[in-house]
Amino acid sequence: MNTNHEFFLMQLADSFFPSGMFGLSNGLESLAKHNRIRNEEDVLNFIEQQIEFQLVPCDCIVFLTAMEAAKNRNIDELVEADNRFYSMRLIREVRNTSVRSGSQILNCIIQMTFDKKESKIAKEFQKKIKSNETVGTYPVCLGIAANLFGIPIESGIRMMLYSFSQSVIAAAIRLGIIEHISGQKILTLLSDKINTISKNIKKEPLNSLWQLTPLTDIFQMIHEHDNSKMFIT
Amino acid sequence: MLKNKKIPKVGIGGPVGSGKTRLIERVVPILIKRGYRCCIISNDVISKEDAERMQRTLSTELKVMPENMIIGIATGGCPHTAIREDPTINLAVIDEIEKKDPSLDLIIIESGGDNVMTTFSPALADYFIYIIDVAGGDKYPRKGGLGIESSDLLVINKIDLAVHVGADLAIMERDAMKIRVEKPYVFVNCQTGEGIGGVAENIIKSVLFDKKPIVKKDRIR
Repeated sequence: MNTNHEFFLMQLADSFFPSGMFGLSNGLESLAKHNRIRNEEDVLNFIEQQIEFQLVPCDCIVFLTAMEAAKNRNIDELVEADNRFYSMRLIREVRNTSVRSGSQILNCIIQMTFDKKESKIAKEFQKKIKSNETVGTYPVCLGIAANLFGIPIESGIRMMLYSFSQSVIAAAIRLGIIEHISGQKILTLLSDKINTISKNIKKEPLNSLWQLTPLTDIFQMIHEHDNSKMFIT
Repeated sequence: MLKNKKIPKVGIGGPVGSGKTRLIERVVPILIKRGYRCCIISNDVISKEDAERMQRTLSTELKVMPENMIIGIATGGCPHTAIREDPTINLAVIDEIEKKDPSLDLIIIESGGDNVMTTFSPALADYFIYIIDVAGGDKYPRKGGLGIESSDLLVINKIDLAVHVGADLAIMERDAMKIRVEKPYVFVNCQTGEGIGGVAENIIKSVLFDKKPIVKKDRIR
């Protein structure tokens, strides 16, 4: 599986890969509705802040932990990372969506690679989900997938940050905040930051996970109760 | 043919305002009266309004099914993606339903209002109903599109409006027969219930295979 990791990297990072990410704005819809985000610069700032204060200290560390745990066939560490990440999702819709997306990614990769011995840990983790011993959050399942396809850590982090940025930009375009060229400009502007993070990020102990995006959290909570909305969250 | 032994799933798609929600509100009580237990997933482009409306009509007013068996999903402005290219979230919700109540007879999935090219992923729906309305003009069936051509059942709604919009139902029937070859179509008026029995019969025969429902005393839980 390892020799073709670049292909699988493209496959996993592609918005066509069935992850349900198209249904998320990650708080952008609510922030835009309340005039907190109005233009290209605001969208860029929002993505940068989410990366710095949410993805890097939390999602990426969980992803790295899952990659390593899957490589070492350490099911207990996978479960611990999963439960810890789930417990840190403050907003119900965000929790539910992470679990729905994660479990379906796992299902997809197992069906893609069912006869491969490398998928054993994925199947074992899926059993834990089915028996309610764990939930199957997005970064954990994505980490299992990245390991299964032999994706290097640096590329895996780049993929995760790119996918997040791309999904926020897609939401911004659908919401009419920016147009399509602006979306590509934002991605280009993010590339240096994402590359630097991807090269330097290191796995941290699970008890050092943190996140600090109170404004986004509050607007996501407001969004949960909105009568009119396009996105799940 | 059904994909597996899981709960059969019917997908209902069609343009905004064609009557998808109203069709479900009309068909479900008939199915329930026949003893079949259903769950509804409603994909909506800009809200969960349709799901909430069905909770009001089917749970609160008619009391034919519990409120938690009507689930709303926001589709991020991409109703076709949510049911076709990436049905992930719908499939996840279906997994949850099957885990919660594996004895259900049927899951109905309503698409968010979309265009004539709507189709359901075979992973999501075993049977696809496409609904259009007469007010769109009698050219509608003739223009084709994946929904009109490939659906398992074409429903043509709002037949009472034909006289008001100058639509000829005979032309619509002729074109529907021609474009769909031998696939069924029905004319309905979801407002009065006319023709709805035909939709229910198609579901019972083609999806439930006339299976005798398990009689349960406590249908509303």
